[in-house]
Amino acid sequence: MSEPGHTDPLAGVRETLTRRHFLRTGSHLLGGAALANLAAGRPLGSDALGPHFAPKAKRVIYLHMVGGPPQMDLFDPKPGMADWYDKDLPESVRNGQRLTTMTSGQARFPIAPSRFRFDRHGECGMELCELLPNLGKTADKMCFVRTVHTDAINHEPAITFLQTGNQITGRPCLGAWASYGLGSMNDDLPTFVVMVARPTNQEQMQAISARLWAAGALPGAHAGVSFRSSGDPILFLQNPDGVSDAVRRRTLDGIAALNQRLLADLGDPETRTRMEQYELAYRMQASVPELADLTTEGEHTWSLYGEEARKPGTFANSALMARRMVERGVRFVQVYHNNWDTHANVAGRLPDQCRDIDRPCHALILDLERRGLLDETLIVWGGEFGRTIYSQGGVSRENYGRDHHPRCFTMWMAGGGIRPGHIHGETDEFSYNIVRDPVNVHDLHATFLHLLGMDHERLTVRHQGLDLRLTGVEPARPIPALMA
Amino acid sequence: MVPGALLPLFLLVPTAGLHLASGGVGSGRAAGEVEFGRDVRPILTEHCFACHGPDEAAREGDLRLDEEAAARASGVFEGELVRRISLDADHPAHMPPAELGKPLTAQQVQVLTDWVAAGAPYDRHWSFRTPERPGLPEVQEHEWVRNPVDTFVLARLEEEGLAPAPEADRRSLARRLSLDLTGLPPDPAEVEAFVQDPRPDAYERLVERWLASDAWGEHRARGWLDVARYADTHGIHFDNYRDIWPYRDWVIEAFAADVPYDTFSIEQLAGDLLPEPTIPQRVATGYLRCNITTNEGGLIDEEYKVLYARDRTESFGQAWLGLTVGCAVCHDHKYDPLTQREFYGLSAYFDNTRVPIRDGNAQDPPPILRVTPPEQRARLATLTGELEAARDARAAREVSASQDLAAWLASPEAARAVERVPAGDEHLVVRAAGAGAPAQVVLEGAAREVALEEGASWEEGPSGGGLRSEGASLVLPDAGDFDTGDAFTCSAWVRLQPNDRSGALASRMDMGAAYRGWDLWLQGRRVGTHIIAAWPQQALKVVAKAQVPAERWTHVAITYDGSAKVSGVRVYYDGIEQEVNVEARGLEGSIRTAVPFRLGSRTPGNASGAAVADLRLHARVLDAGEVASLALAPLLSDAVAQGLEPLDEGTRSSLRDWWLRAVDGEWQRWDGEAQRLDGERQAIEASSPTAHVFAEAEGVPMAFVLDRGEYDRRGEQVQPGTPAFLPPMSTDAPASRLALAEWLFQDDHPLTARVAVNRFWQELFGTGLVATSGDLGLSGEFPSHPELLDWLAVEFRESGWRVKDLFRLLVTSATYRQAAGAPAAKRALDGDNRLLSRGPRFRMDAEMIRDTALAASGLLVREIGGPSVRPYQPPGVWEAVAMRESNTHTYRMDAGERLWRRSMYTLWKRAAPPASMEIFDAPNRETCAVRRIRTNTPLQALVTLNDPQFVEAARALAAQALRDHQSYAERMDAMMLGLASRPLADEELRTCGAVLADLRAHYAADPEAARALAEVGESPAAEDLPTPELAAWTMLANMLMNLDEVVTK
Repeated sequence: MSEPGHTDPLAGVRETLTRRHFLRTGSHLLGGAALANLAAGRPLGSDALGPHFAPKAKRVIYLHMVGGPPQMDLFDPKPGMADWYDKDLPESVRNGQRLTTMTSGQARFPIAPSRFRFDRHGECGMELCELLPNLGKTADKMCFVRTVHTDAINHEPAITFLQTGNQITGRPCLGAWASYGLGSMNDDLPTFVVMVARPTNQEQMQAISARLWAAGALPGAHAGVSFRSSGDPILFLQNPDGVSDAVRRRTLDGIAALNQRLLADLGDPETRTRMEQYELAYRMQASVPELADLTTEGEHTWSLYGEEARKPGTFANSALMARRMVERGVRFVQVYHNNWDTHANVAGRLPDQCRDIDRPCHALILDLERRGLLDETLIVWGGEFGRTIYSQGGVSRENYGRDHHPRCFTMWMAGGGIRPGHIHGETDEFSYNIVRDPVNVHDLHATFLHLLGMDHERLTVRHQGLDLRLTGVEPARPIPALMA
Repeated sequence: MVPGALLPLFLLVPTAGLHLASGGVGSGRAAGEVEFGRDVRPILTEHCFACHGPDEAAREGDLRLDEEAAARASGVFEGELVRRISLDADHPAHMPPAELGKPLTAQQVQVLTDWVAAGAPYDRHWSFRTPERPGLPEVQEHEWVRNPVDTFVLARLEEEGLAPAPEADRRSLARRLSLDLTGLPPDPAEVEAFVQDPRPDAYERLVERWLASDAWGEHRARGWLDVARYADTHGIHFDNYRDIWPYRDWVIEAFAADVPYDTFSIEQLAGDLLPEPTIPQRVATGYLRCNITTNEGGLIDEEYKVLYARDRTESFGQAWLGLTVGCAVCHDHKYDPLTQREFYGLSAYFDNTRVPIRDGNAQDPPPILRVTPPEQRARLATLTGELEAARDARAAREVSASQDLAAWLASPEAARAVERVPAGDEHLVVRAAGAGAPAQVVLEGAAREVALEEGASWEEGPSGGGLRSEGASLVLPDAGDFDTGDAFTCSAWVRLQPNDRSGALASRMDMGAAYRGWDLWLQGRRVGTHIIAAWPQQALKVVAKAQVPAERWTHVAITYDGSAKVSGVRVYYDGIEQEVNVEARGLEGSIRTAVPFRLGSRTPGNASGAAVADLRLHARVLDAGEVASLALAPLLSDAVAQGLEPLDEGTRSSLRDWWLRAVDGEWQRWDGEAQRLDGERQAIEASSPTAHVFAEAEGVPMAFVLDRGEYDRRGEQVQPGTPAFLPPMSTDAPASRLALAEWLFQDDHPLTARVAVNRFWQELFGTGLVATSGDLGLSGEFPSHPELLDWLAVEFRESGWRVKDLFRLLVTSATYRQAAGAPAAKRALDGDNRLLSRGPRFRMDAEMIRDTALAASGLLVREIGGPSVRPYQPPGVWEAVAMRESNTHTYRMDAGERLWRRSMYTLWKRAAPPASMEIFDAPNRETCAVRRIRTNTPLQALVTLNDPQFVEAARALAAQALRDHQSYAERMDAMMLGLASRPLADEELRTCGAVLADLRAHYAADPEAARALAEVGESPAAEDLPTPELAAWTMLANMLMNLDEVVTK
């Protein structure tokens, strides 16, 4: 983990955990390396996998905003639109591009200027919506990409595309690829964890699906493990009522003894794997509750993330949990935050949405930085598409709705090897088409993988006779301008 | 593990080194002897075809190596090929080029060199040649052979210098056989009987017994349901429930009845096109309806039409052809000789359908078939005739009514009817007063003016004009304050925009309090209502099926009778009652809320975009005549004044419809009769499950070649057709799905039988004779036993495609009956048992693990078929991902026997599959899956250790042992016999005894913990047993249930 001359920021935490487990279980059945391989399902001695070169980032926290945030209300100010209020979007701008069937029947496409003020932040001068005051304070640590574009125009295919590189369901997602390519960094937690945060406002929630964190053609062990905010954090983690740790340990010892006998009898190595599997499960029963236990967090945590972070399931809580996870060696943390699908009532909803994420995102960046983890942790924030400058339904100065818009939207990144304080790309005066430096989803994925030390063309899995990869069959390339 | 690591690349047999197919199992041959299909083609496929293969667009240097003639003509075999592959890797002319990242090994270079030296002989890819029954090979150990399967297996073993394993002991054999034929462990008594049975055919008798069991049909069906991508929800977006389980039951019955595989296949692919198809034959086409579907708001229909046809085509290719035809969606196949054009030729068979693109979020999107229970079929037949007669009479009256209507209009009764418009008892009336003016509101008889909300404006409309706004146009704190038991009617004129937006037209609803309240609701230009105590569990939601026309003033009304039932809600358009969809049923608790009544929206911002005029609330149910009068009032006064003549046809027709309903006794009589009969019919249908069926559309099937597979980049139009590299369809076959299905079973078809036999082999042995059971094409694996595969394929075809016969043959072979154990030295030679040097042994599928626990503990409820069930599942699995509006948002666990059905009946929600099954590698049931990957993760251990389902089963198993047996040893043996079909060995008994002693001491000292453990699960606690004792034994049973031996077949 640690390179010469650098202290491993995680060494302390890991040492404590390992020592405690050692004491608790008495002995390890197997070495940590074997368990780690079992955890991620990664075979020993496989040379097809990464990292292919020295990584900039070792972990990822991906914050997906389900529904598609309106870029012109948050990150891509278009003050010129004030003069266009309620005028129709010129046909020359739309240029026959397809619309969803929710607005394709509209007689008019009246322009809705953003009703929000934008403020300039940091040395980079990034202009952010007034609803994101905290995020502004870390603008110089972030890389804003205003020109992401996607192929899909409706939620399901668009989220699937952003997460798996293909609009059609069934491909492995980013987190699964990271797990497959890089394996585990710990010996008692999952490699890839998913949290579904609960937004404060739930006016227009969109569907998500467990298929978004499935392993697809990769072995199932690379699928995201859902980390839940109520009940067992991980399904079936807790012993049944009336079963203490001592009882569990005793029966596991019995299982081990009987399996050992079977192993001697049949000689099937599968039996040995089963034994490892049960020991690892037992260790997770201790490490996961420790991970979820926030009583060890000090006051500075709450003042940073806010009191909301105490409530399980909030976005703030998920952000804090994400920090605790990467601290303990979880490779990839995926967080979903919903209710960004503002077909109507942008004015009413956006304040709630921004309040949910503004402070926690800022806190997460600062917290990771203070702990020396930001350099090695890539944070990604973004939705599955943007929204239209014209209003869905009627428009007023005060309120309006916006339909899906795949042709440009803003995502931002922080940490792990990105170019800080960078504002990438430019859209036209309507935030409708890209004028300069378009970034397609496959290039973005190639960039993420590059930061993780992987060549996206070499990270493949054989599936139905093809070498499947995250970035698809068309040429894709990492974008140097986004990287430090 | 990665696929490469699943398979033994090299067997450590000295002579075998050179001849290894990519990912395949080589067989020993002398050095220098090269077989094209086994040795050479895999190398070409993996390392050369990407640039020198079938895909014209990707071809480099005008060289193709996949076709013999072209390759020979190029002269590449006259030195060039060998020279280029033998160059140093960094030489610019080196092949394959370094940037491809697929260098050849020295051995592969040698194979190609030997091949070229031998004259570079090609032959057709093995799986594209019609299989012929091979002769049986010579073997040494004749006594071991029980049937021809063994001859092939033994020949290969002897070739490799390996001996088969001894036959498994009877207990292991019984357990393996039962799990393979029924998916369940054998009853301990059956095992004992078999162990004691001295008859020479004791084993064969066991085979027959289980082949004839009901569980056989279930277990085989479960395997097929992965292939068919069967699930109980639509899949995309709302992911609502679909009522498609009759198809699942058809599959069970088909296997149980041993329907031959050709009939089984043809009925699923084209049952609707058979002459006069029976109900089961049509139900079988549910296979073609299993694909995932959507109803997402903004979807573009053509995009999904293309996706659905693609999925059906790819599934067909995987399931029957064993080919990855999907690789030709965007371009010609890289390995197999399948062109992009041919892919679309195949897809044309599946695209000419009446199945709508949008599933409507309905449980029964058309076309459907009601599968009427047999005892009601006769009544349904006569009923249909009577209903038609009543409807005909009613229709006849509609024609003859015009005269009488004209006369009536001139009568004094008509004048009185104008006044019948319900007036005076309105709770609320909102009327326009002209541009810029406040609204005229009459609330409980008191008139006042109310200012409009900002942004609201008047427009032309009935009764003085309509209100349009983006948010609420009018807010009235004291209107519409109804409770659950109050009857009310809400009516208005509306003019809708031509879009599919959703929103409230009027409401009194608190979105922050689980949507408590009520509304007049608009959804995709359909009108309905929510009446909600707490959404979505405590709520009614009813929406009309028909759309309101856009840009036209239409009168809409909803009435509610205060019954808290969906039957108490009616929806009217222009005074005519509408058929409705029920989206929520189950209202309990109060709907009253303190938020104000709002016109135009539920919240300040969430607007429907519609204009609303003359809104009225009545604190009672208006009957159909009254609603019609409200809707027709303006017309009626005109007609009374001027007669029918001056009115346009549309108005006359509306008026006539109203008059028939409101006034005409004859029409009402026939209508009453029709409604009564229709009610009876609906009652029968409601008790009849829905089968989703496939149906062909008018016109000739065809498809477009799509550039890069994109729906909006249409190229050439193509006719339905099968790929040229496979045998042609008999020439007189029409271009229909039926012809395609029958083509699969032509005697010369090379793939169908091999693919099926290989998949069935895989079910027994864990891995197919071709490990890549979904790809028998060029990039698939070369068979481990090619002659055996062909022999079985021919046998299967010639025996009339009998699945039971095939399984009988396989499970009675000596190969299958081998013991699973093997010493390390032998394992080193046959690591993954691809040579079949021992019996099959692998971790069971999710369903079998759970079913074993249920069966051994006696909890299993052995009922066949029926609606899917919802057993134990931790809270939040569905809720975390599902949309609020989805009817599979909230998981409501079943009670009683439905908790203990076989796992194949567990309701499968695609966006959140059954949690414990997903953890055990169950496929997602979204696309065709012909084999399951088996992984081992700690999460799996947590399921069998902690899932209440397993803990409850452990307790039931323990209670059974405690009641039936006295000594500790007997009890422990009884549990192990149920789970693993054998008693414990002495050493194991000692281990278990030591654990039990600790557990007993623990629970004796902590009765609270014992009680808590004994209460896990819904089945009644065992009152007759001392709780601490039961708890200790429960944990011992839990321990045994988690043994490697128990979760492994």
